[in-house]
Amino acid sequence: MTNRKIPGSFFSSVAALLPVAPCGTRRESIPGGLSARSLSQTVPQGATGIRTFASRSAFRSTGSSFGLILAAAILSACSGGSGQDTEEQPNTNPGSGGASYSGPAPETEDVQQYKRYIWDNLAAENRCGGCHVENNQSPQFVRGDDINIAYDAGRELVNLSQPAESRLVTKVGGGHNCWLSSADACAEIITNYIEEWARASGSLANTITLTAPVERTVGASKSFPAASGSFGSTVYPLLSTYCAGCHSEDAGTAQQPYFASANVDQAYEAAKARMNLDNPADSRFSVRLGSEFHNCWDDCAENEDEMTAAIQAFADSIPLTEVDPNWVISKALLLTDGIVASSGGRVENNAIALYEFKTGSGTTAFDTSGVNPAIDLTLSGDVEWLGSWGIQLKGGKAQGATATSRKLHETLTATGEYTIEAWVAPANVSQEGPARIVSYSGGNDIRNFTLGQAMYNYTFQNRSDSTDADGMPALITDDMAERAQATLQHVVATYDPIGGRKLYVNGEFTGDADPAAAELLSTWDDTFALVLGSEVSNDNKWEGSVRLLAIHSRALSAEDIATNYEVGVGEKYLLLFKVEEQTNVPQSYVMFTVQQFDNYGYLFSEPTFVSLDGSAAPTGIAIEGMRIGINGREAEVGQAWANLSATIDGSYVPGEGQPLSRLGTIITLDKGPEYDEFFLTFERLGSETYTRVEPVPAVPADPADLEPQPRIGLRRFEQIHAALSRATGISSAHPDIVDTWEKVKRQLPVESDILGFLAAQQMGITQLAVKYCSTLVDSPARGSYFPGFDFGAPIADAFNSPAKRAQVVDPLIKNLLGHEMTWHDSSVSQLAVAPDLAAVETELNDLIDTMENCSGSACNGRTATTVKAVCAAAMGSAMILIH
Amino acid sequence: MKNLLPRLSGTQPKAGCLLLGAYFWAGAAIAAPQDQALQMHSRLTGVIPTESILLDMAEDIANGDPQAAAYTAMQNDAFYNVTLKNLATPWTNRDRDVFAPLNDYTATVIGMVRDDVDFREVLSGNILYTGDVSGLPAYSNSDNDHYEALEAGGHSLKDSLVQRSQSSVTGLPAEATAGVITTRGAAKSFFIAGTNRAMFRFTLVNHLCRDMEQVQDTSRAPDRIRQDVSRSPGGDSRVFQNNCIGCHSGMDPMAQAFAYYDFAYDADNDPEGENGALDYNSTGESDPATGSRVKAKNHINSANFPHGFILPDDRWDNYWREGPNMHLGWSSALPGSGNGAKSLGEELANSRAFAECQVTKVFRQVCLREPENTADRTRIDAIADDFSNSGYKLKQVYADAAVYCAGD
Repeated sequence: MTNRKIPGSFFSSVAALLPVAPCGTRRESIPGGLSARSLSQTVPQGATGIRTFASRSAFRSTGSSFGLILAAAILSACSGGSGQDTEEQPNTNPGSGGASYSGPAPETEDVQQYKRYIWDNLAAENRCGGCHVENNQSPQFVRGDDINIAYDAGRELVNLSQPAESRLVTKVGGGHNCWLSSADACAEIITNYIEEWARASGSLANTITLTAPVERTVGASKSFPAASGSFGSTVYPLLSTYCAGCHSEDAGTAQQPYFASANVDQAYEAAKARMNLDNPADSRFSVRLGSEFHNCWDDCAENEDEMTAAIQAFADSIPLTEVDPNWVISKALLLTDGIVASSGGRVENNAIALYEFKTGSGTTAFDTSGVNPAIDLTLSGDVEWLGSWGIQLKGGKAQGATATSRKLHETLTATGEYTIEAWVAPANVSQEGPARIVSYSGGNDIRNFTLGQAMYNYTFQNRSDSTDADGMPALITDDMAERAQATLQHVVATYDPIGGRKLYVNGEFTGDADPAAAELLSTWDDTFALVLGSEVSNDNKWEGSVRLLAIHSRALSAEDIATNYEVGVGEKYLLLFKVEEQTNVPQSYVMFTVQQFDNYGYLFSEPTFVSLDGSAAPTGIAIEGMRIGINGREAEVGQAWANLSATIDGSYVPGEGQPLSRLGTIITLDKGPEYDEFFLTFERLGSETYTRVEPVPAVPADPADLEPQPRIGLRRFEQIHAALSRATGISSAHPDIVDTWEKVKRQLPVESDILGFLAAQQMGITQLAVKYCSTLVDSPARGSYFPGFDFGAPIADAFNSPAKRAQVVDPLIKNLLGHEMTWHDSSVSQLAVAPDLAAVETELNDLIDTMENCSGSACNGRTATTVKAVCAAAMGSAMILIH
Repeated sequence: MKNLLPRLSGTQPKAGCLLLGAYFWAGAAIAAPQDQALQMHSRLTGVIPTESILLDMAEDIANGDPQAAAYTAMQNDAFYNVTLKNLATPWTNRDRDVFAPLNDYTATVIGMVRDDVDFREVLSGNILYTGDVSGLPAYSNSDNDHYEALEAGGHSLKDSLVQRSQSSVTGLPAEATAGVITTRGAAKSFFIAGTNRAMFRFTLVNHLCRDMEQVQDTSRAPDRIRQDVSRSPGGDSRVFQNNCIGCHSGMDPMAQAFAYYDFAYDADNDPEGENGALDYNSTGESDPATGSRVKAKNHINSANFPHGFILPDDRWDNYWREGPNMHLGWSSALPGSGNGAKSLGEELANSRAFAECQVTKVFRQVCLREPENTADRTRIDAIADDFSNSGYKLKQVYADAAVYCAGD
């Protein structure tokens, strides 16, 4: 690890910046690279005269100023220079009402840990120390007279194996005197303290004990009737009136789904998935109008109401139906019946700012790192909370105060290294600027760091001695790699003064090299603010979701980043669907990992067959055609295991089960994570079977008749080329022709539709016709094409008789089949479509007359030119253009 | 008996021809044989016939054999050099550019029509047409010079194309050939970069006349949708559930047939792949990224949805045999699944939609319009029946369509 090498040189240089205190004083410096917390426990005092402490603890004590850190450190007591490890730290609680401990020393290691992780963090008067102290309210777990008694009172409030289940957490999370506006945020902060302790003591449970969930029977619900029924008189009239312009097979721009089909049954089939019988207002049809403003026919809100009312009327006409009795089904579960599959195990020992966005409402995203001062972010503009934990930025931003943001400056300039870690889902891959995902900056052109997106690339600007104030040149991921995708991604930017900038996407180093030399962060500015979703100026907006953001005061190693990527984001549950009845295996379940994926769906993944009876050895059980049911019906979309065909066999491991599939799928959220009731259906489960017969969909209706179209059309580009070649006898591959063809071909008609004819096309045809005629007249072939005509005669003589003129005009007419012909029945006539011969001859003779009108040298070569002109007039006419 | 139809031309008003201007036809309720002959020839070839050919065709029509007249017209080089080339050229590139140069895809379509090869082979056959003209550069797997020289030389494609087995020309194993799908022309356009889904989509567009919007079906199982498809594009899973899944659930299990194909080219110095070549992992070959015959491109962006399907092989399944897309008319004689492009090509080409698509495309080209009413649709149905009942000869479709529209 690169940063592990730093302390010798880099760390000492940082230390050198600090005043060295005489013995008897306590001094803090910030370790570079090493885990601050571990150092605080292991570095012996006295070796250098400088005592190192956890950076997080340091900031808990001092608020925003590094100077205050030192002051606080100096004020605190020294353990006497014995060389013995000490955990007695300065009062590290928030600036106001901080508590300091002066009682008896901890009697055991565990008490010492308790003090470090619980007492130090919670004993301040503005936290728990206002009440839960000696001579006051019980339990007195933050009493200041004797840490050992406080420990006795507080230990049972802490659950090291499941920190989030600790009484301390649940009490505060339940609304008991949180010091912030969000009880969830306080609970999260306390959880983090306990997790740190658990991590340090190795108590954190990494295995999940499966326990039997409550048993629910699949409830009754409204289901769509087989026939369209009253759909035709409730919802369908709206659809057929307002949506048939596209969503019907006979529409001009027909677009699936055809829920506005002329055939009501067909429309009904397509509409089912878009109507919610239990909550009509949540129907896709309504949402599409009201929230997405998709082709409203009038006022979107009113249209939505009208649609919802229609769906409600339809729903009202449907009786509550029981679950199909023929189905082979499991027991039912709510999401909250599941076992929490902890998302613990993240590496965040040095997270100095942490946002998990669990609050779910309000305008503040809390920094739950526990490191003070908290850089709480204020949400402004278009920002939406995600039920799956996160915020969706749609042009708005989340910004911290400059005073609290200074924490980043203080810590990171001291460590000289840092990591920005985020789970993000860019809304698109077209935003650029770069669009600011996370920025610690002062304006559009001045910053300390910025993680951004530029279309398919992630960008990382860091201000250092080797860059300008804008952090340029930026580190940008390789264009060809297209790292940024409009989906949930784990994006990590690290900086350290040896390795410089690095970007990791989805746990993998992108391999892109920092274009600037790695330097110290001494040029950073402490007046900037941390902001998400845009620049502090509101420019360079980034749209997308942020599910988690952590700023670490060290450059995470590739291994740590991979670990955090593997842990994932959001809360996961293990749902155990009981199938004992059908399999006859005691306590047998099909277990899914389930999480709320976003505001609109759940992710079901990795179904596993498992029995909680450790002695069970199931074998030969067939599981086929498994589908996920929600609220009494099978989910319409996303049945990834409909084709499953598995048998429980020798690969079953007692206690762990047998994986049925590694796949995952999205199930559309219906009533919400608290109400949606899930179950499984099977086509075959053990000995029970259900034969599914998929109804034959209606045959698509014939498209509607079109307006009568013209029966004639244009010759297209290459047809004109070939037709001219045929009519003049000149090869289309003649070099002179090819030259002109290449110039004009894109000007010629590409479509045969005569209604699309343009004057420019006629110009192209004329140019090409002139070239063909010119090539013909300049070639030896002219003799046979215009037999008898004297090209050597001067203009005055060449056309001075009708016979001579006919020598030019007649071959042209004939090659265009404009002349009279003798048919198989011996009749003689022109083709019906041929132009009137006399009219054509008149036109061409007029042209010859015009061309004859010359004098002197202007008449030189005029004979051939006239033939070319007459030829081009005939060849460039509608006789070639139209067929 | 000649001239069975009444001669009306003599009595029809004739519009004056305005030189260099538009000229409007005086339509005949029932056109005379020679007028029908002119129209057939012109629509089939793009060029005006010689007087003798016109007379010959008119006589055939008068004798009640308009098909013979159509076949006479199709003797003209322009039917191959213009009409068929224009039909096939837009199929060979993503932009549907009609000006794209002749290539092995186009030439193979033209040759197959000329030789009355069962047109279903276009998606599955071990077949390729090259030019047999002295002085041409030889066929190359890594450029298009052979065909561009053939086109530039103005040679008659009717006379100069020769049928060969694709595997003998390109070296692709015979079982890996799949008609035009495995030509260099198609590979350069649809196997280049990406994930090979383009080959499926464009085959559907060009040979079943359906783009993805027309085959959307969100009710199919999504179990074969790969990892690279985001399940929440931009953080919104509704987009996936309502749109993406509708195409991918059916497309991905079929596009899997192309798992072993790629188009190898130098992306930096030759971004268009002008010197690229089709690349296929034969039995025994292994892609280092996947550890199997599956090309690495099929596993890209795997972190977009780690729980998505990972292609293990080139097994394809047609999920659209059920649900609304069953009405594409899949052949009951085929199993609806298989391995590789060849059997997928057979699956597609044996559908009713394939036959109707070819007929509709020819109808548009020859009648210069869309089918507009029941009469047209019924006729297209009948022509498609003839097409599929008598060896899938596309020339016959041209003849049938030209005869139908000659009376327009």
